[in-house]
Amino acid sequence: MRGIPALLLVVALGATAGCNARGSVGKRAGEMDMTLPHEPSPVAHPSSPVHSISLPHDEAFAPPGPGRDAFVTACVVCHSPRYITSQPPFSRAVWKGIVQKMIDTYGAHITPTQAAEIVDYLAATNGAHLIGGEGE
Amino acid sequence: MRLPDDDLSTRVEKSTGGVLSRSLEGFPTSSAKATRRAMFRFATQLASGLFVASRGNASTLLPHRRSSDVRRMVRFPEKRELILLTDRPPQLETPLHYFRQDLTPNEAFFVRWHVAGIPTHVDTRVFRLQVDGHVQRSLSLSLDDLRRRFEPVSVIAIAQCSGNSRSLFEPRVAGGQWRHGAMGNALWTGVRLRDLLDAAGIRAGAIDVSFDGLDEPPLASIPDVVKSLAVDRAREQDAMVAYEMNGEPLPMLNGFPLRLVVPGWYATYWIKALFRVTVLDRPFDGFWITKAYRIPNNPSGTETPEHLATDTVPINRFTVRSIFVRPEPNEQVAMGRSYEVEGVAFDYGAGIRQVEISFDNGAHWTDARLDPELGKYSFRRWRYRWSPLGRGPHRLMVRATNNDGAGQPTHHWNRSGFMRCVIEDVQVNVL
Repeated sequence: MRGIPALLLVVALGATAGCNARGSVGKRAGEMDMTLPHEPSPVAHPSSPVHSISLPHDEAFAPPGPGRDAFVTACVVCHSPRYITSQPPFSRAVWKGIVQKMIDTYGAHITPTQAAEIVDYLAATNGAHLIGGEGE
Repeated sequence: MRLPDDDLSTRVEKSTGGVLSRSLEGFPTSSAKATRRAMFRFATQLASGLFVASRGNASTLLPHRRSSDVRRMVRFPEKRELILLTDRPPQLETPLHYFRQDLTPNEAFFVRWHVAGIPTHVDTRVFRLQVDGHVQRSLSLSLDDLRRRFEPVSVIAIAQCSGNSRSLFEPRVAGGQWRHGAMGNALWTGVRLRDLLDAAGIRAGAIDVSFDGLDEPPLASIPDVVKSLAVDRAREQDAMVAYEMNGEPLPMLNGFPLRLVVPGWYATYWIKALFRVTVLDRPFDGFWITKAYRIPNNPSGTETPEHLATDTVPINRFTVRSIFVRPEPNEQVAMGRSYEVEGVAFDYGAGIRQVEISFDNGAHWTDARLDPELGKYSFRRWRYRWSPLGRGPHRLMVRATNNDGAGQPTHHWNRSGFMRCVIEDVQVNVL
């Protein structure tokens, strides 16, 4: 239930941020006149006292595989799935070491059962067997 | 020098925001920045929630990319299309062709953040830079204070990620899979770090100076990104707190409104959205110095997979490098025409003395022409007029030597993919 007020709060704050951003639109348009056509300056006008950006939400989708639920539950809280999909294939041993590092070094909330499932998932979806390397 | 004393609320913002960020229900009201921080926190949670909720709709979402060799372009705020490595937190690479320009455009400058809670909203009316710790008087400086009360200085310097070119390491190592575009060359303008420290008055017994930015980790257990320099390094002439990049305010993703600039040293020290400088009377013991960004204790930070170094030190100054900008990998070059091979070389500040090219796998080397020096921390452009004599695949190699006589090795590796410095090559096809 707690998620609903939080969501409303985000929507409300988003609207506020939008007002701030719109406040500088006129000046930005003037600045764009001085730049090359087809390459409008994406830089906010420096005279605006408030500088805001809105980050795009364009996350990679976690591919199907064994242990995917554990991965989505425990890992995506802190970083997008692209932290996995952008990596070269690694052996199970390397993935296991990386998961252990997330737990030991960064305090990821991962139970031992989840850790095993996540290693399964990483090895299955981005394992060295995909490039003819070390198998499962 | 009169110093502002009316901004207690912003002075404590970061610590307040940090505590509150660890509570899912807390909502800070102490300052505009804290509000922005909390807003982002909730936005992040919402994004994660949406992600989980949408699992059943795989067909409507992005296809999975199995290999890091598939790279796609993306456009983030205040940026042109850059190469997407990761989206949250964002890691965006500069396409190689931008290095045909001596100064890398702000809109094309690479982006690299460590933790998802990155600043997206800064009110310059309330933003303050704090200088505190083991000093005679703490400072709390507005951006106007920095511009008006301190002498402005400028330097052209390369910001280069410690892991630039990591994807070229063999065997491959985990981490951001950059090619050569985790760097950029810019004209930085701001105030000397030394002038700030002198204004605060470093007390006797100071050892390190730490630097904190507005970014915050998504979990309390993840160490905040704080870096440090030894006091003597911090007081060297060249270290700067920059408020402009290529004559404009910094893009938000590159550290608006202030960024630490440590010329000749890896960008891990160039703290973005810098808001706090703290003088310490003890060695800094934070995670990002004592555990992360460590290199084998030798000048180029090299080791082998079979013999990993046990003696490590914090990464520090650049190695000597030279890369091809043109031709690009697998470019097709016309037979019988003159082609200007071009690239950039750089080092930690001694300056580049010589750049050489080889067309026969390193058996013979010939000098490239050097463009005028733009500054000892800048790219040094080199050129070579090439007239291919035969069709088919060609391999070109490049190596640089600096004014200290330091060159580039043929082999270099470490487990973290840091400080790449090997002689680079490029494969082209002559048609």
